Amino acid sequence: MEILERPSIRRSFLFAGAYLVLLSFDFSNLFKDTDLALGPDMMGGLLRVAIAAAVVGNFILVNTFPHRTQLIVTWVQLFALFMYFFYSFDLSYEYIWARLPHLLGLGLKSNFLMGAALTVFICAVAIFASTILALLAALARLSSSGMALGISTFYISFFRGTPLLLQILLIYLGLPQIGVIINPIPAAIIALSLCYGAYMAEIFRAGIQAIPAGQREAAKALGLKDGQVMRLVVLPQAIRLIIPPTGNQFIAMLKDSSLVSVLGAWELMYMARTHGRAEFKYMEMLISAALIYWALSVTFEVVQSRIEKRYGKGVDVSRV
Amino acid sequence: MKLFKYALLAGAVALSATSAFAGESLDRVMGNKKLVIATDAEYPPQSSIDADNNLVGFDVDVGRAIAERMGVEAEFVTPGWDVITAGRWAGRWDMSVGSMTPTKERAQALDFPVVYYFTPAALVVHEKNETILQSSDASGKKIGVGVSTTYESYLKKDLVIDAEDVPEFSYIIDDADIRTYDSDVLALDDLRLGDGVRLDAAFTALPTILEAQKNGYPIKIIGPEALFMEPLAIATDKGDAEFNAKIKEAVSSLHADGTLSKISEKWYGGDLTQ
Repeated sequence: MEILERPSIRRSFLFAGAYLVLLSFDFSNLFKDTDLALGPDMMGGLLRVAIAAAVVGNFILVNTFPHRTQLIVTWVQLFALFMYFFYSFDLSYEYIWARLPHLLGLGLKSNFLMGAALTVFICAVAIFASTILALLAALARLSSSGMALGISTFYISFFRGTPLLLQILLIYLGLPQIGVIINPIPAAIIALSLCYGAYMAEIFRAGIQAIPAGQREAAKALGLKDGQVMRLVVLPQAIRLIIPPTGNQFIAMLKDSSLVSVLGAWELMYMARTHGRAEFKYMEMLISAALIYWALSVTFEVVQSRIEKRYGKGVDVSRV
Repeated sequence: MKLFKYALLAGAVALSATSAFAGESLDRVMGNKKLVIATDAEYPPQSSIDADNNLVGFDVDVGRAIAERMGVEAEFVTPGWDVITAGRWAGRWDMSVGSMTPTKERAQALDFPVVYYFTPAALVVHEKNETILQSSDASGKKIGVGVSTTYESYLKKDLVIDAEDVPEFSYIIDDADIRTYDSDVLALDDLRLGDGVRLDAAFTALPTILEAQKNGYPIKIIGPEALFMEPLAIATDKGDAEFNAKIKEAVSSLHADGTLSKISEKWYGGDLTQ
């Protein structure tokens, strides 16, 4: 493997890789109407080599920058490439602009939220409910009561073991069979809370178990009761460990909330699909929705890292 | 014996909970002075969403007209197609005006009080296609259809339409290489990529095709224009004959005074209601 350490070898690999990817594009069309001695196929091949060389050149150039600049330049370049990819679809920007307010949910639908605002609302409530559910399930899982353990493992097993889409449909279509008729939005919130509560219960359990037994013993020796040990000693330490995987779950939930569009709740995905269908501008709306979901996820990430810092105060992360 | 009795009782309760009592839907509609109509807003020109976020289309106008004839207000909800066709609506909405074909399978879960118009089912190919000149040439080709639509059934040759006055039809495409999609429009999306790229042809309702052509899809219709005529019906939850009769009466009066034809002209550019 040492041979890979050598810059010339790495660059050759990069060149070959870029060339192979470019092979799937047909550049000869670009030169169809030009009157050159080499012919369109030859020119297309040359262009391919030139682009592959540019990729390698860019790689060498960016590597000379300081670390932070490298990071920023790479992001900008990838984002530009990404945008060029969408640009090449020949999208109707007026259409996106005209329908964007509906996707974002600026305005009301039957006096309630819609679009991205509704997505955020559904997630916010589901985050709150699933956190409580997860904590209860994790504590039940760790308790000495066989019944509590039974309930909690049954719940976790079922909701982790079945697809979310199926749970959404079961709750929406199934509950009326026992006389409980709920609207799409509450059904969505219940399904997301139950499903993510089950996943997070396992994260919480792992976090609680990761706190050394000595902490618990010391707290008890100081005369704290069981509840106090959990509340004052174990949980504050466990939270630090729980936050990163929990943040992950919330981001996943944000995107999974798109599944409730099957019930006809006017959330972001539903708006994207229907507005896309209205004038056969499906790509336009899907891409817009993708960017909105992405922006929301980034917000979640920022919030997560803030909270992480807050609870990591007492710990020097670089030494753990 | 006692256990058996309880089981019977439980069964009866379960049954009654699943379908509407006679007159129940009608009482609800008349009591609330509101007709809640389900429509799937992903199918222009039947039903879609406009730039101001309002529901528009043929089905939406027909729904409004029926509510008006019944002397109640119309309200629209937009559950997914699968949720509508699953039945057991639990009173969430009263009827579906969703261009639904009354098939035998659907009739197990829903009632179809009245057929309100017909659409021709047509085959389309990419503009550049030169091998499929009439529908029968599509035998053995890759044809895209929406999943569990009548178009898929036609290609599989097991289409049974459970309605009166349905014109006769015959199967003229053999051994189609059927590709199913979540919705008919997705099949058109794949067809527009190019002739034979993913599909050789797509098979769907003529209005859907015309709307796609209007929006610049490079596709052309292959004759005959109607491989079969598809009757499209209003659907209600099972079991309320009085409500169904009331809907039938409203639609008949819309037929009689030409309102339905007028709505059809507006959205389809022709009268598909006869």
